[in-house]
Amino acid sequence: MTGASVDSAAIAARRVLAVIGRVVRIRASFLLMLGAMSWGVLLEAGRPRSWRRTVRAEFRRTLRQAAGGGLATALVTAGLTGLALVAQALYWLGLTGQGELEGSLIVTVLVRELAPLLTGMVLLGRSGTVTVTELGLLRLGGQMNVMAAQGLDPFLLLVLPRTLAFALTSFTLGMFFVLGALVTGFVANSLLGAVQESLWTFFDHVLSSMRRVDFAMFPLKMLLIGALVALTACITGLTARPGDDAAVLLPRGFVRGVLAIMVASLAFSLAA
Amino acid sequence: MADALPEPMVSRLPLAPLDLRVMVEDNVLIEAEDAPQAAAFANLCCGLLPLRAGTVKFLGHDWANTPHERASALRGRIGQVYGANSWISFLTVEANILLQQLHHTTVPAARLRDGAAELSLSFGLPGLPLTRPDELTFEDLVRASCVRGFIGQPRLIILMSPELERVADLRPALFNALAAARNRQAATIWLTLSHIVWNDRSIPATARLRLTEHGLVPGRALP
Repeated sequence: MTGASVDSAAIAARRVLAVIGRVVRIRASFLLMLGAMSWGVLLEAGRPRSWRRTVRAEFRRTLRQAAGGGLATALVTAGLTGLALVAQALYWLGLTGQGELEGSLIVTVLVRELAPLLTGMVLLGRSGTVTVTELGLLRLGGQMNVMAAQGLDPFLLLVLPRTLAFALTSFTLGMFFVLGALVTGFVANSLLGAVQESLWTFFDHVLSSMRRVDFAMFPLKMLLIGALVALTACITGLTARPGDDAAVLLPRGFVRGVLAIMVASLAFSLAA
Repeated sequence: MADALPEPMVSRLPLAPLDLRVMVEDNVLIEAEDAPQAAAFANLCCGLLPLRAGTVKFLGHDWANTPHERASALRGRIGQVYGANSWISFLTVEANILLQQLHHTTVPAARLRDGAAELSLSFGLPGLPLTRPDELTFEDLVRASCVRGFIGQPRLIILMSPELERVADLRPALFNALAAARNRQAATIWLTLSHIVWNDRSIPATARLRLTEHGLVPGRALP
């Protein structure tokens, strides 16, 4: 083979690789952005210089909206879950003489799976969609360029505080969710006369059924789910294209958020 | 700006190299063809456009060689007067006005608020607006834009709102603010789309230029 033919073969091979790479990059761009932003949040969150007063103010604002606004919804959902799951479990296990399983059943189903999933959904619906809308409007209206011209880094000012606020909110709402579901289920059963123990004994059964790793996994799972809800919402808003409107952005953000919650939940379940 | 040639795909600017030197106390009046071109030029001044050739500097710093964080801090010293669509809708007008200064300085918020209130009065507002942007009238938003652009004693002020020229009684306040900025040794770049404004001799311009396909071309206002 001559040098020229080797060169042209190399150029052709590079072109083929570029085409394949472009397709893969486009498809993987969301995941790549998610990874990059997650890493960015971890890096910047640890730097005191990142936490200027504007960033702190945005963190407080988001926390107020997410936690304050989501608490009622989380508690109502917890109540319904308490009636649907906890009360049923206590009743039927009591009836079949297997009351000693109540703790492990509740921990396995409620604490490890349902609470993270449902809390994540509440956070996504109640606050994730707000983030998609806010950031999408900034992107489409050109205000993002204005911020850049003012030296305001959108990542620092918009993404970082939202991600951490959502993570904290997710953990907080998750705790309230579990507590609310347990109390509701217990009270419902007490009213039916199907409970032979006190509330504290019931709590003790649940706590005793938790493994040591559950005390670490549950908070970590809630924090990660909250962070992922924020990041998927931010990426959806920040990558809005001309022509996109709420009818396009909101479903896109919602589906991404749901997938992120379910993947995170599954990953933790398998790891545990 | 020395032989600055932005990447053609990302701007509406002419394909000719751009040369501009703005010194302290200068007020350069530039006529652009349209709003996107004016916005692109403003972005070029702020180092937000990638260059194919040439350099753009601010306070001696070449934007292309300035690290991201430092560049953001430098942009904090540029005040820009934008059009009506430049407001963050989920913040109040007060928060929008103070945002840049709160982010880049450690000046107490109360002092910034007092300064903004004073500027608001000078631009004809009854006070610092505490409502959201969509609750203000068009004229009040334009005045609030001026407050946002002049607050914090910026070193460079870029006026690029065609709406400025549509609020009739804003001129005296604007000229006073420009004079005060000049006294503080700030410079101003006024981007206009109107030939009438560009020719207006009452505007205290130290240089009048046109943004044409050949680059920045000096001109003179008609007598």
